Parts: sequence; structure tokens; C-alpha cells
Amino acid sequence: MGYLNNSVVTVDAILTTKGRELLAKNDGSFRITQFALADDEIDYTLYNPTHPSGSAYYGQAIENMPLLEAFPDETQIMKYKLTTLPRGTAKMPILDVGYTNIVIKQGASLAITPQTLNYLGGNQNEASGYTATISDVRLLSTFEGVGIDSPQTNALNVNSTTTLGTNVSATVVGTTINLRATTVNTLFGANTALYATMTIVGRDSGARLQVPITITKVS
Amino acid sequence: MSFNRLEADDFVVSADSITAGIFTDSQIPTITTFFTSSTQRTSNSGDYYLNVFSNAATSSLEFAVTYGNELGSGSQAYNLDVDGKSPSSTVYGQYRTLVLGDENADFTFGSITSSDFWAVSMERSRYKESIFPGSTTLLLRGPDGVISLTDNSQVASSVVFNDAGRVFQLVSGSAGTVFTTLESNGYSIDSGSYGLFLPDIATYILNPRALSNDEADGGIGLDATLTSALTATDSPNLNTIFTAITHSNASSFTANSEETITSDFVFVRPRSSQFNYSENPSFISGSTGEVLYSSFINAPTTYITTVGLYNDTNELLAVAKLSKPLEKDFTKEALVRVKLDF
Repeated sequence: MGYLNNSVVTVDAILTTKGRELLAKNDGSFRITQFALADDEIDYTLYNPTHPSGSAYYGQAIENMPLLEAFPDETQIMKYKLTTLPRGTAKMPILDVGYTNIVIKQGASLAITPQTLNYLGGNQNEASGYTATISDVRLLSTFEGVGIDSPQTNALNVNSTTTLGTNVSATVVGTTINLRATTVNTLFGANTALYATMTIVGRDSGARLQVPITITKVS
Repeated sequence: MSFNRLEADDFVVSADSITAGIFTDSQIPTITTFFTSSTQRTSNSGDYYLNVFSNAATSSLEFAVTYGNELGSGSQAYNLDVDGKSPSSTVYGQYRTLVLGDENADFTFGSITSSDFWAVSMERSRYKESIFPGSTTLLLRGPDGVISLTDNSQVASSVVFNDAGRVFQLVSGSAGTVFTTLESNGYSIDSGSYGLFLPDIATYILNPRALSNDEADGGIGLDATLTSALTATDSPNLNTIFTAITHSNASSFTANSEETITSDFVFVRPRSSQFNYSENPSFISGSTGEVLYSSFINAPTTYITTVGLYNDTNELLAVAKLSKPLEKDFTKEALVRVKLDF
């Protein structure tokens, strides 16, 4: 990790781990077709709309900040996307999954249906669905997304069942995310619970929510 | 919406040739000190080639020198009952296949054919894709003096190709400039050029006949040992060429590497009406999603720090970080050029 030289405006570009993986697959999935922008590292509380020197100085504390170099781990970058919303938007889209903390007993199932609040004039399910990423897929015997039927999404959901090397995270897409906690006792060792996080991102709105998951041992 | 489609006009592919010093420290194109490894020299591989380093560290491997002889002369026979089969004949056959692609062909230097040669083969990680023609200056010292060699790529009227790609003649000169004191082409017609320069396989093939001439005829009196394989006891010619490289008064080897970098430029163009709100938690006040400041409702300001490039399934393939935050609001458009090197 290092800081970028901010005396001149430059762009430091790298392939992500996922990008390298898809490039190596050579199956046509490494094809850049769209872009998104993010404001990772920005703290908007530093923005001062009452700066005594006037509007030219509102963003002074942000504009001169040095930025860190890009991380190749795609789960650690592009966390907070910029979104296109109508002018006059007073409330930002936020995700609601009905849980602030998910606790599942070993072998039990749970279906999560995310909803986006304040989006396109109300609360609704996003047409493109939601991306859900579990940080440690070993904790779940079932982790699937359902409700979005398109060739791209189906391909993504099939690929998500593949665990390569030490990469034990998994991502699925759907309007409903089905979970079933593992029944494998050996994962617990001497512990009575296993912990992970699930990150859910609205594929249209970019709204993001991270929920802790706890799997409790039954016997 | 968080994603914008890229249009065909947003992509530009460019290929650029990059040259650099060929040795360990790529900022310095010349090395003046040369070392060998006693471990490698006494091992089995020492019968075939000598690795040459620019300092005592084994990480500084720069090139290898070897000697090839069609008759196996100059190195010890594999079996004393079988004449003509020795490391030097193996090396000769290896390079003949690699460079000429014909087991009946001979190496031709200028217009003179030869049944033996010395070869200098650059370390793979040093030369990237090839040696940059016109960048070589190799000083060799023999009993009759010192010669500076370069390639004739800058004066050759056309590029000649063989099984090893481009072929240039090694001539008297420096950094691509041919010295015409002896002959206008930089070498003696009677003994042929000083060798072949094969930039695409990063190899110099040296012609012993031209180097063995006396100084008046353009040589340095550097003779290869042609003892029969049956009576040879070691590989003296490896030491001969290494000594010629390292024993000149101002021993020096200069060359540049060359590689083609293919770059994919992606032009990212957020419009004035786009990307003016943020899902950053600090942009939001409270749990219901209200924007942080009331002024953000009609005049939001965001700061772009990161550009993500995605495929159709929203998988993040590449990412670009700006060196400083770029202010964005409803009155501003931006154009960010992202360069991906392959």
C-alpha cells in the first residue's frame, strides 16, 4: 500500500484479482463494457458548506487529500459508488433486508429478500436484483440467488459455486438470496459459533449493506 | 443508476515500443565488470556455457557465453571411442537448428562460412522481447589489441531474416555507428564479419576467424582452441571469450532491451447530470437515508476517487485510482483516461 503523488492528477490503473482470473479463463468474460465511479476514502463530514471564506473553500479539506493506491481485491474497492439520481433528491437509496444481524442454527435455512428504500420514488425491489457476497462460503451449504433469469446472471450464479485455492468468498445475484447453514461439525472446532459477513449491493442503485452472519453449533 | 455503458468510441488500443538498458539495473545500459560462478563453471553445465554476472551477486546474471564447433573440437569428447561428439558439437548443432533451421547449412559471416563460433546469449529476464538494434557496443580484447563491435542495422539497406528472425552483421563500430577505417562495411571481406546479431533471440554469434586476424587485418589475434575432441581435456574456448570480454582495458558491454507494450485506453465520461449523489455512508445522515447537508438536495457535490471497469455481469475487471479527488456536481463533466497495459 502507498499514497499516490497528488502534485499532478494521474490515474493508477490495475487489473483486479477477478479481472486476472477472467483474463486467464480466456472465455470472453474479460470484456469491459461499462464503468462506475466511486468515492472510496472520502469523508463528507469534512465538507464545510459554512466555510467563512466562501463556496470555493467548502471542499478544501477533501480536495487536497492524498489517495491510496488501488487495491486489487475487488471486494475492497469501489465500495461506495456514485449514483445518478434526479436533482432534488433528499433521501438516498438504502437497503433493507429485515435484519441487522443474521443468526442461523447449524443446518437451518433462511431466505433474504432485499428491498431498496427511497429508490425511484418509493420502496421497491430493484429490477436487476442484488449482488450478495459471503466472506466465507464454507459456512453455508446452500448459497444461491434466485429471481433474475438472464444468461449473464445464470452464468455468474453457476460460477459462484466454484471455490478456487484460498479464495473462499462467493457471490450470487438474485432478488432473493437463499442461505442454508453448514452441517459440517469440523468447521467449528472447539467453537460454538462461526462468523462471516454478507455484503449486499443493489445492482441498479449501488446501495450497499453489510450484515454480520453467525452460524451457531447445534450439537 | 451506478453503471454507465461504454461506447465503441471510448476504447483505443495502442502499441508502443519501450526500450531500456538491458542489464540488471535497467537505468544503466552499460556494464563494465564481469564475473563467473566457480560453482557453475565446475558443474556439468560448465562444459557447455559460462554464466556471466555483473557483480558478485548471483541475482545479477546478465548473459552466458558458449562455443560451438561442428567437429566437436575444443572440448572433451563424451566418449573417447567416438570422435566428434562433444559439448562443442552439441552447441553447434543446437544453434544451427535454432538459427539456420537446416542441419546441412553453415554459419555465414558476411560471405565467409565457418564451422565454429562463440555465442553470447542474453538472460531472458533482461532483454524483455528483444535487443534493440543499433544499441550494442561490445569491447573485446585479444593478444593483438581491442575491438569495439556493434551491429550494422543503421546502415543495412534491407533487413535479412532467417529462422531466428532478424539478422544483422556484427561490425567494427559503436552504438550502431560503423567504423569504416578498415573497410566501408566495417569488416574484412576476406575473413567475414565479426559475427551475427540476432536481436529477436537476443544472441550474438561471434566469428572466430575474423577475431583471430592480426590488428592490421581488423582482428585482435583471438584464437579458438581447435584441439580434437579426443585429446581435449576441458572447454578452453569458454574461458577465451570470457577473458576477451572482461580483460579489455576498459571492459564494457552496452545494449538496450526492447519490448512492445500494448495498451488499452478507456475514456470514461461522466456527464453533468450523472454521478452527483453518493452511497458513501458519510454522505447520508441518519438511518432513513437523508443527505448529509440540505444544500446537497439541489446542489450535491461528490468527489470521484475511483473508476471501476466492469463486464456485462457487473464483475469488476479493472480499477483506477485518481491521485487526488475530482470534484463533481451538476455543473461539471469529467473525462478520465484509463490506461491498461498488457
